[in-house]
Amino acid sequence: MTEAVISLDAIKKYYYMGEFTIRALDGVSMEIKRGEYTAIMGPSGSGKSTMMHLVGCLDSPTEGIIYIEQEDTSELGENDLAYLRNAKIGFVFQQFNLLSKMNALDNVMTPLMYAGYSYRERVEIAEHALEQVGLGDRMKHRPNELSGGQKQRIAIARALVNDPAIILADEPTGALDTVTGEQIMDLFEQINEQGRTVIMVTHDPEVSSRCRRAVHLRDGKIVEDI
Amino acid sequence: MFWEFAKLALKSMISNKLRTILSLLGIVIGVASVITIVNLGESASESIQQEIAAVGLETISVTARTRDREVRRLFDLELRDRIEQEIEGIDVAIASHQYNTRVRWQNKSYSGTVMGVGHQFAQSMEYSAVEGSFFSDRDNEENRQVAVLGSLPAEELFPDGDAVGQFIRIFRGDTARTYRVVGIMEEKSPSFNIQFNQYVYVPYNTYANRLTNIEFVQNYVMKTVPGADVLQVADELDAFLDRIVGSEHYFLFTPSTIADMAANVTNTLSLVLASIAAISLIVGGIGIMNIMLVSVAERTKEIGIRKAIGASPGNIMTQFLIEAMTLTLFGGIIGIGLGIGISNAVVNFFNWDFYPLVNVYFLAAGFSMAVGIFFGLYPARKASKLDPIEALNYE
Repeated sequence: MTEAVISLDAIKKYYYMGEFTIRALDGVSMEIKRGEYTAIMGPSGSGKSTMMHLVGCLDSPTEGIIYIEQEDTSELGENDLAYLRNAKIGFVFQQFNLLSKMNALDNVMTPLMYAGYSYRERVEIAEHALEQVGLGDRMKHRPNELSGGQKQRIAIARALVNDPAIILADEPTGALDTVTGEQIMDLFEQINEQGRTVIMVTHDPEVSSRCRRAVHLRDGKIVEDI
Repeated sequence: MFWEFAKLALKSMISNKLRTILSLLGIVIGVASVITIVNLGESASESIQQEIAAVGLETISVTARTRDREVRRLFDLELRDRIEQEIEGIDVAIASHQYNTRVRWQNKSYSGTVMGVGHQFAQSMEYSAVEGSFFSDRDNEENRQVAVLGSLPAEELFPDGDAVGQFIRIFRGDTARTYRVVGIMEEKSPSFNIQFNQYVYVPYNTYANRLTNIEFVQNYVMKTVPGADVLQVADELDAFLDRIVGSEHYFLFTPSTIADMAANVTNTLSLVLASIAAISLIVGGIGIMNIMLVSVAERTKEIGIRKAIGASPGNIMTQFLIEAMTLTLFGGIIGIGLGIGISNAVVNFFNWDFYPLVNVYFLAAGFSMAVGIFFGLYPARKASKLDPIEALNYE
């Protein structure tokens, strides 16, 4: 049996708004195994983005423990969490979230800087990553000079550049037209075939149909896991 | 990592030119003041040293300061002789007195100062004649009506030269007496209160007995024995004069007292400029803090993205500290340039030589960076503590 890369143990995330308590996640337990390609689905407000943030160590749960590669993340400090996000997780966002003042190459080089690579190594690795996503000829372009699909490719190159075990994608095709969306999905499929665990948050059935596993959330609980 | 962040900071400074300039104004003024102070102080003290070197370190001057006729009478030639004899270390004491008047030759006229002075004056001051010679001991002893011209009266009265041997008329009130020109002096830059070039010199005895009816010596210029400790001699002289005329009735100048006075002036100036510098550096620092807080707020999203891709709080903090430092260093460099310009202009205005203290430029640049770090600390800390999710969702 393959080991669990991510495991969630009775996760609760509550937001307190005065008298109201919003139960964004209300007791979610699940495991994701190495190399899995999982879609997290659900209507807006179902808690899928919250789950994404928790798995990505951008936020911590109110209750419960998240394990990333068997490591208890509740024990980790800010710096250790930053290391985890840098080394083990790659994020891809719906709105790309590129650094607008820097060109494609500099964007992709940034995670390598935080990982402590020398400038020369950073350039080499980042150029290779951009070539992998088909942007070898757009390295010096700034995000505002590129199309949505190209921006998302930069974001994917940036997510891959530190060779993380897990790729977290939050509606990665949400801001793209159908054809471009398809191409991006192909790219994720390739990434998954290389052995990386891919988790994709989406409400688009087209997208989830290409994933091997679909977890449906509603009101902070798992209602279906196929 | 340092260069990446410094480069980013420079880029954003260039894209926000006006904002950068306004936020740096305080630092620029502060650093410019510091550089001005230091350069002016150094140039002034160097120039004073040079003036001292021009009259010679071995000069002491005593000026009578009294309206009391009884006390005034104490300032006589006998006092000069006693100083020469009784104060060890005084080589020669020269009496002098002066008044402002007109001097005429043919139809030309010079308005200036006539100085009655001992014959040793020229030699003691290392002041030489370009034509003829300074008057002699005999001219003085015999009350001869001879005059020596400084370069200004020489030029005004005898633009065509050939002054020696001519007879000029020196006025005293409405009456004039005739003096024979025996020498023209070289140009010599003024030292302290002696404006060498402006005077018409006549022998002291002639001045006292024939030209005027003065009852007292206005000024004694003294030369110390070579190798004597001028300050010690001055102290002895001071004690001696206190006994004879009373301490409140004269001024005693040595090069060092004059240097002290000049230093006081420079110190006052420095103090004023230093206060300006301190205030503007604080105000400038607050300006930097303000602009950095704006920058952090504007770039909340960027901070969120950086955190998501693995920036630690320390990384974020470093980034904003380097940015603040780059900003203030840039301001510091502008301030240094401005300070050099201002001090150079002032030095030229006073006709001093420019003595810049280059080491201080590096110190000022370092200090500017320190201001950046100090006032950038709070905004940088704030940035590093932003919640990643909130930052990412910030629009």
